Amino acid sequence: MNKNEHDHKHCLELFQKLSEYLDNELDEVSCKEIEKHIKECVPCFVCLQTLKRTVDLCKQAGNRPVPKDFSKKLKEVIQNMPKTPPAG
Amino acid sequence: MTVPRPANRKKIKDKDFELIQAINSGQFDRFPDLVKRYEQKLYNFSLRMCRDAADAEDTVQETFLNVFRYLKNFRYETKFKNWLYRVAASTCIKKRRKSKFAPERELSLDEFFPQDEAEVPDQVPKWALRPLDKLLNDELLDKINEAIFTLPEKYRLVIVLRDIEGFSTAETAQILNLSDANVKVRLHRARLFLRDKLKGYFENE
Repeated sequence: MNKNEHDHKHCLELFQKLSEYLDNELDEVSCKEIEKHIKECVPCFVCLQTLKRTVDLCKQAGNRPVPKDFSKKLKEVIQNMPKTPPAG
Repeated sequence: MTVPRPANRKKIKDKDFELIQAINSGQFDRFPDLVKRYEQKLYNFSLRMCRDAADAEDTVQETFLNVFRYLKNFRYETKFKNWLYRVAASTCIKKRRKSKFAPERELSLDEFFPQDEAEVPDQVPKWALRPLDKLLNDELLDKINEAIFTLPEKYRLVIVLRDIEGFSTAETAQILNLSDANVKVRLHRARLFLRDKLKGYFENE
């Protein structure tokens, strides 16, 4: 499929499902359909690869340490709470 | 939202089960152990939702106070962590301020689907091919976190829970009180939004 054909309805239909495909949340038929399509359609293959890389990178976003002053303050707030929580 | 549950519903015994039981049986001095266990995760979750460090601190404190207040009501029908994030997400939503960085708006699929010939890619860019460890550096991590901040809140909540905190679709749906389908739609649009931001970053590198 060349670049001019990329507004094809089928591409758009599969484009909607790419995250579910990456998350293994699609049924077997849809998976096979996507796998067949990306072998023939370069733009959709590129979409899938860049989306996959985005998810990989997002998973690496990392965590900051808790500021020491805040951790200390939180500990004090917790220690000073009434020892019996209100009945709920 | 109260759904009648069978009386003999099985309790979920996760890694927090014993600690929660101890606290709920009167050992309130164990509550700081629970705080220690989740303090960093909740701080980072709140920071991603509030952006402002002071707001994030207020949110974490408020979340733990709410957890202490309502822990007696926890029925072990879900993992404790999922219940905790439900409290945290709801506290973040209440705390929200209008953000000039991430104005509330709907993201539509059309805006991410390449339609002009010039936009249609004809090869996989280098940033999607290089090994992840060769690509990652502090500057890129800052860019990813910056890009997450610019997502409208309802999309940010979903992608943070799914791709950063590692909750499943069903767990995220439960935490946010959404349908699975809705979580999937928001997640896909959030990922496409981030992909465009990363694409822009790498093209201008």
